[in-house]
Amino acid sequence: MTRRFALVLAALAPLALAAPALAHHSFAAEFDADKPVTVKGVITAVRLENPHSWFFLDVAGTDGKVEKWSFEASTPSSLIRSGFKPGTVKAGDEVTIKGYHARDAGANAGAGRELVMADGRAFAIGPTVGPVR
Amino acid sequence: MRKLLLAAVIVFAASLAAAQEPASRTADGHPDLSGVWWPGSDLRVPPLNPAPAAPGRAGGPGRGAPPPRRERFEDNYTDAAKAKARTLSDKDDPALRCQSTAFGTLSVSLYNTGLVGQIVQTPKFVVFLSETNPTFRIIPTDGRPHRDDQPPSSRGDSVGRWDGDTLVVDTTNYSDKNWMHAEGEVSFHSDAMHIVERYHRINKDTMEVEATIDDPKVLTKPWVVPKQTLRLAPFDQIMALDCTGIESAALMEAASKQNYGKK
Repeated sequence: MTRRFALVLAALAPLALAAPALAHHSFAAEFDADKPVTVKGVITAVRLENPHSWFFLDVAGTDGKVEKWSFEASTPSSLIRSGFKPGTVKAGDEVTIKGYHARDAGANAGAGRELVMADGRAFAIGPTVGPVR
Repeated sequence: MRKLLLAAVIVFAASLAAAQEPASRTADGHPDLSGVWWPGSDLRVPPLNPAPAAPGRAGGPGRGAPPPRRERFEDNYTDAAKAKARTLSDKDDPALRCQSTAFGTLSVSLYNTGLVGQIVQTPKFVVFLSETNPTFRIIPTDGRPHRDDQPPSSRGDSVGRWDGDTLVVDTTNYSDKNWMHAEGEVSFHSDAMHIVERYHRINKDTMEVEATIDDPKVLTKPWVVPKQTLRLAPFDQIMALDCTGIESAALMEAASKQNYGKK
């Protein structure tokens, strides 16, 4: 549900005629496309549920303290039908997530675009609205 | 090369023939609307390494020209409703807090918030099941009137009848807690809303839906919903997907307080 719907429309060329216009939450209302963020940590939970999927992880800070981070991802049905199987990423997995930081600067949260596992497998988990690094 | 071309033509012709195959009928002679229906695909996550765009084509992955806007429910708001709408925005969308839409993001009530819905048809009922914001509508087709023993609800109370090969669904008794569409589209309705939908399966793979929506408390005139075309999905069971999250709503609320994302 939400912004992702409209942002992935361009990938749905066959739907272009079938699907009417989708109004959508403004991405800018929640995330800052000009603030790419990358964090590396250990998955604590994966939630393939509506209105958005979420990846939760513990990230070790430079001071040794663990920070809790979370990344919003695409809807569960779109992730699954795009090839992301439930159980592919699970608690305990070391991952790197690239995305865009939440507008709420005080929140350790963002919109996930790419998830890379320790073995190098990479998955698209959300839209691209600008460079990620 | 010619063999390849011939094979492609045969495959194309076969798919065309399948599309023209008539819809099956139930034992009582009505068209069988059963199946999983969608616009032709679910939404897909843009791949990490998409094929490069063809020369001259604008846009990249995840972007592109916005689709043309179609008429929506709120286009016919009364002045009072317009004034109320100006006090609301994305962050207030009940769908962010797992509330079903009253109608549907794509203006197809079967889909609800998402793009996929399933119909199960029996001699006495047609049952609509939606995948995103899982909901059901049990639509009796045996001539009974609307129920008078249940409170208003987010998807209302429906009765159906057959008009030839078209299923006509009449729905009333809506609550006024949810919006017509999702995606942050301010589209509240009232408890006086009345929706009449007409479902016509024109062949095995295609169904057309028309609807007229009246809501005299918030609309100046009924909204005649543009005809929508549904396609039979290549699978026969929707997924059970919970809706539990409130994190997105919380982030939008926080961003709103910083004056971001105001429409």
